[in-house]
Amino acid sequence: MKPVGNEVHTEAHMERKEKTASLADAIRPIEDGAHVAIGGSALHSHPMALVRELIRQEKRDLVIIGEIQGIEADLLCGAGVVRRIESAGVGLERFGQARNFRRAVEAGDVSMRDFTDTMAMDRIRAAGDAMPFWPVSHLDGTDIARYLPDDLVEITCPFTGRRLQAMRPAVIDYALIHTSHADRYGNAMFPTRGLMPNGQDVTLSRAAKHTIISVEKLVDPEVIKKNAHRVHIPGFRVDSVVEAPFGAHPSSALDFYDFDSSHLEAYVESSKSPAGFSEYLSEYLGATENDYLEKVGVEALLKIRKVVTW
Amino acid sequence: MSQELATREEVVAAYVAANLLDDDVAFTGMVNGDATALYGSMIPLAAMGLARATHAPNLTILLAGWLVNPDLSKLTTIPDSEFMPELRDLPAEGFVPDYPQLFSIHRGEVTVGFSSGAQVDQHGNINAVVIGDHDKPDVRLLGPVFQTEHTAYFGREMVMMGRHSARNFVTHVDFISAAGFAPDGSRPAHLPGSGPAKVITPLCVFTIDPTIGRLAVESIHPGVTAEEVIAQTGFPLGDLSSVSTTPLPTREQLELLRRVVDPHGLLLGAPTQR
Repeated sequence: MKPVGNEVHTEAHMERKEKTASLADAIRPIEDGAHVAIGGSALHSHPMALVRELIRQEKRDLVIIGEIQGIEADLLCGAGVVRRIESAGVGLERFGQARNFRRAVEAGDVSMRDFTDTMAMDRIRAAGDAMPFWPVSHLDGTDIARYLPDDLVEITCPFTGRRLQAMRPAVIDYALIHTSHADRYGNAMFPTRGLMPNGQDVTLSRAAKHTIISVEKLVDPEVIKKNAHRVHIPGFRVDSVVEAPFGAHPSSALDFYDFDSSHLEAYVESSKSPAGFSEYLSEYLGATENDYLEKVGVEALLKIRKVVTW
Repeated sequence: MSQELATREEVVAAYVAANLLDDDVAFTGMVNGDATALYGSMIPLAAMGLARATHAPNLTILLAGWLVNPDLSKLTTIPDSEFMPELRDLPAEGFVPDYPQLFSIHRGEVTVGFSSGAQVDQHGNINAVVIGDHDKPDVRLLGPVFQTEHTAYFGREMVMMGRHSARNFVTHVDFISAAGFAPDGSRPAHLPGSGPAKVITPLCVFTIDPTIGRLAVESIHPGVTAEEVIAQTGFPLGDLSSVSTTPLPTREQLELLRRVVDPHGLLLGAPTQR
């Protein structure tokens, strides 16, 4: 066997690999049962176009991993895509409880691993830094550890002798992330004044075996080169990039549009019963994202659209 | 405007403000649900603003951990979502788009926090996870979120309960997602924070003497009777006949709340309702 690093390449010319993909092709490799981290938080910055495609392709038994889940996890629970959620909470902020999630857990169809907020992030950081475990020291007096037998092992700190839990790093097969721009090589730009969901998206991508990005707009590589300070996920770590305008709807995309209150209200109303929610799905999901956006309607999209002036 | 017309929310905000210290580093997230949001986020933020405008100019507001000392009087909409761009665009003294944040959670830099839950028990333990059995719940709730860290690491915790009934003030919570005190009154040995110090509801203020580790009624809000508090609490409270009334805000406190801290009524409700 040749020693690694000693190969000599003499091909005259090769093209740089392009990462742009159709929505269907980007999502197709995700196998049933995969561990999927979905970017965003509660009602913000979720890769909803990618999430809807998981439903269209009838993925099953996914394990959803994150810090705070919202509309994306609720939608997937309602569509029967999820086996388990591992996070610190699932809710819809002022739109109330995540009813599909709640119903699925109460029925035993979806199981929940309840991590606390810092644990939910630190297990992803541990995976991103290839750590064997992350020490946890704030669970005394709670019931958290009792229900995480596969993720926590009690240990003694070798330095202080203190009793701690060693937390297993998260296992993330795919990170799905929505951001503003990327080029065809997968270099992904983030908002100038991003919020924590945007920052945490980068952490997710570091921890994942594969990263799939959707963007509001694909841009020329020259745009990326002039905005290198905004590229927080470089192309070599990206598997595929999908152009999906309004791809975070009905959650928000920072500096592009707010979350869609009217749509979320209708969503929540429909999610009060399984029958109501299957009506929602058959009304909105469609065969493609264009079907979905057409159903949502121009008026609704223009109402939430933002044009940032700085 | 007179003291008699202070709303319940203003009474509670003034009480919370009086219990904040100069140099406090105060954390609240943006919790949701009408009553829960009012008690868990809006009243604490108004109280922090009032404290800064009066006796605690050095108090630091950590809004959801990512925004430092935002000028909440410049709000143009009700802050009902943790990462809304309107919060980012407020005048502020610090802003962080990532975790870990601008401060250390684990070193105890936060001196006071605010949290809430579906249930709280007589020892100050909080449940935000399930009603019933964890793996076969009768009701699945939000999840532990950041509250486990609050009562483990923060200097002290004010538990803000938007509803006060025998259903959510229980002898033992179904699932402890944030630690108060053990049944024998002790705090979990290794937690650096001192845990829940007050539990504040629309009816009354409970205090927790850390040497006893049990809720005791400290004061009852104006217009509420001891009988109501007893009837709405699922564990025995003893004789409340000598318990005092939660003080009304002073004229100056009311003026500051209405004109300076929350001039548009976005935290404590529209001024016309006050």
